[in-house]
Amino acid sequence: MDKNSNIDIINNKLTEFNLAFLDNDQNLIIEIDQVELINACKILKTDSDLDYSMLIDVCAVDYLTYGEADWTTTDATNSGYSRAVKQTIIPEADETFTNRFAVFYQLLSLSYNKRLTLKVFTTESNPPSVPSINKIWNSANWFEREAFDLMGIHFKGHPDLRRILTDYGFIGHPFRKDFPTNGNLEVVYDEDEERVIYQPVSISTRPSVPKVIRDKNDRK
Amino acid sequence: MTESNLTLNFGPQHPAAHGVLRLIMELDGEVVKNLDPHIGLLHRGTEKLAEIKPYNHSIGYMDRMDYVSMMCCEHPYVLAIENLLNITPPRRAQYIRVMFDEITRLMNHLLWLGCHGLDIGAMALFLYCFREREDLYDCYEAVSGARMHATYYRPGGVYRDLPEQMPKYQANRYISEKKVKRLNYNREGSLLDFIEDFTDRFPSLVDEYETLLTDNRIWKQRTVDIGVVTPERAIDLGFTGPMLRGSGIEWDLRRKQPYEVYEELDFLIPIGLNGDCYDRYLVRVEEMRQSNNIIQQCIQWLRDNPGPVIIDDNRYASPKRSDMKHDMESLIYHFKLFTEGYSVPKGEVYSAIEHPKGEFGVFLMSDGANMPYRMKVRPPSFAHLAAIDEMSKGHMLADVVSIIGTLDIVFGEIDR
Amino acid sequence: MGLADKDNEIIDKQGPGFIITSVDKLVNWARTGSMWPVTLGLACCGIEMMHSAAARYDTDRFGVFYRPSPRQSDVMIVAGTLVNKMAPALRKVYDQMAEPKWVISMGSCANGGGYYHHSYSVVRGCDQIIPVDIYVPGCPPTAEALINGIIELQKKIKAEESIADG
Repeated sequence: MDKNSNIDIINNKLTEFNLAFLDNDQNLIIEIDQVELINACKILKTDSDLDYSMLIDVCAVDYLTYGEADWTTTDATNSGYSRAVKQTIIPEADETFTNRFAVFYQLLSLSYNKRLTLKVFTTESNPPSVPSINKIWNSANWFEREAFDLMGIHFKGHPDLRRILTDYGFIGHPFRKDFPTNGNLEVVYDEDEERVIYQPVSISTRPSVPKVIRDKNDRK
Repeated sequence: MTESNLTLNFGPQHPAAHGVLRLIMELDGEVVKNLDPHIGLLHRGTEKLAEIKPYNHSIGYMDRMDYVSMMCCEHPYVLAIENLLNITPPRRAQYIRVMFDEITRLMNHLLWLGCHGLDIGAMALFLYCFREREDLYDCYEAVSGARMHATYYRPGGVYRDLPEQMPKYQANRYISEKKVKRLNYNREGSLLDFIEDFTDRFPSLVDEYETLLTDNRIWKQRTVDIGVVTPERAIDLGFTGPMLRGSGIEWDLRRKQPYEVYEELDFLIPIGLNGDCYDRYLVRVEEMRQSNNIIQQCIQWLRDNPGPVIIDDNRYASPKRSDMKHDMESLIYHFKLFTEGYSVPKGEVYSAIEHPKGEFGVFLMSDGANMPYRMKVRPPSFAHLAAIDEMSKGHMLADVVSIIGTLDIVFGEIDR
Repeated sequence: MGLADKDNEIIDKQGPGFIITSVDKLVNWARTGSMWPVTLGLACCGIEMMHSAAARYDTDRFGVFYRPSPRQSDVMIVAGTLVNKMAPALRKVYDQMAEPKWVISMGSCANGGGYYHHSYSVVRGCDQIIPVDIYVPGCPPTAEALINGIIELQKKIKAEESIADG
């Protein structure tokens, strides 16, 4: 899999689109605008030199706390535990945060044995949205439903966008960074009503290992 | 007079549901008109939990995803971390990983065969397949201490080297010394001797299973021309693994995008012709034989080449305990690794392996911290189960059970 | 007060008596000798449950024979993680079982949430939903540990005085 020749071919075929190639040793990642997504995908699938016939995965990412650590590590301090930056590890939902949600598509070309990753930022609307590529690759069906369920990204044009993994009547999108890991509701059986009911969660979110970012990692 | 379809709930608690699957079926008599799978009855939020734990703490979560093929699920996660850290494990560790991947493939296919047979009605096969699985569980236990969830692969290699002794049966008041001697005949040597004895016996056992099923009229009536998937639809629906190969497409990551030491090993890839349940059955049975072959080659290499099984770099792999007790640097490394864990440089990587069910991939995104920023698992059965509606249209209710069996789904990885 | 209460006092002091304890023993022997669980394998522990029923650790020799339908069974082995979405279905299966019924909670996920305790979608222990008799620890408990749990349940049943309690 020669990465440079792959970049040239893709550059040639997708010249009219505004592409950004992200530097990565392992995978080739292309960032593309969400309005151009459908047209670019059609070319990626149908062009005989590209022939990305299979969509492997759709992954939604929330960039809200990207690069934020729980403990500072740059300066030494003589007051040990006060290094903790935040009191709680659940961030607040920030309406002014731009470029918060992105969707990564993993494509595979069986005939040329090549992989490609497409990165698409969603719109800034509420809910964030991206066009659905279900008509191009049918495998996107459930993957997009899952991204909608867990991250709240709306896929325009999807035939059947409803919750798939979370509970019936679940409120919220669990994998967003402002959703607590412990959740908001838990179930219990009520003897009087003789059915399973929801009540507020009884355990508290506390960090077991604080998140620490060390920039000085030397890669050989 | 209007006719309406019968809506039936094939509930989460059902012996043929392979775990917790809820199918809302619309039937016209016995013929399936529409199938709507409801999943999420085992959704445990693994990916969210992985974001609050250091990298090594989540290796155990990967085991519990596809809980019938454990080490194959740890493998892409560990490969993704090694990719981001830019480290490679020693050769011996790679051979051990490949050997255990193939042992895991055998485990998966044996359980698949036993449960598929049980659902369709060949109940004796369940006991035979699980008898072999018990021997493979003994291999897992010898090397890691746990029968199922081994947490054996680590970034940088594997946890420890293969043991020189196998646990043995002991005589008690119910089992005589003579019987114990007979039971222990393959446990007298090291783990490699035990596995070698298993691989010597295994082809004849697969022959037994084939005599039961392959030319069996009833088996053929229940699986031939059921759930046919054309090659074009298989690619479009995102099928991988035996589902794709059963439809005639030559695609196996071990050959096309080799990882670890698969380039040095000699094995064949079986391909099906028609894309029905019977072809997928034949593909998986032949894969079992090929895995056996690979294991034998690995045993030979491992016998001839001793060496380290984890990298020397103490930033990522903890130092030996004996060193930790007298050497200051080892103690510091040990402390940092077990309290905070190593930090992985910024980046995103998608790494996938040829899991027994298909392509199991892990998309790992790091922002420089000691925990993943986003870890997404791409399970093969997720894409396969999405296609069940299309595969079962027009078939009868009993065929739905065959199709669920041939998809080889496990809810731990679908729901995560 | 009166003669009836005096009889009750005598019975309370002496205990249930020879015939009732013998019938009790017989009933308990019958119950423990053939405990039929309903197949409720939710996750990984379900595989160990299947292994305990397979050739090496055979539970059939204890009279344990898995039944697909809850109406025909008297034990429920909750094997695996119980998730919020599955909880009503679990309660329904439990309610469909006929008395006398017992529950074995197998594995740390069913005991108290286990490895997934801090997750938003996991019930922290199946005893939030159904009453549990025996907890079998492990992740997953080996097939032998599950058989140990079944034997403990047999001991618990034998200690019950079913007829004497009325």
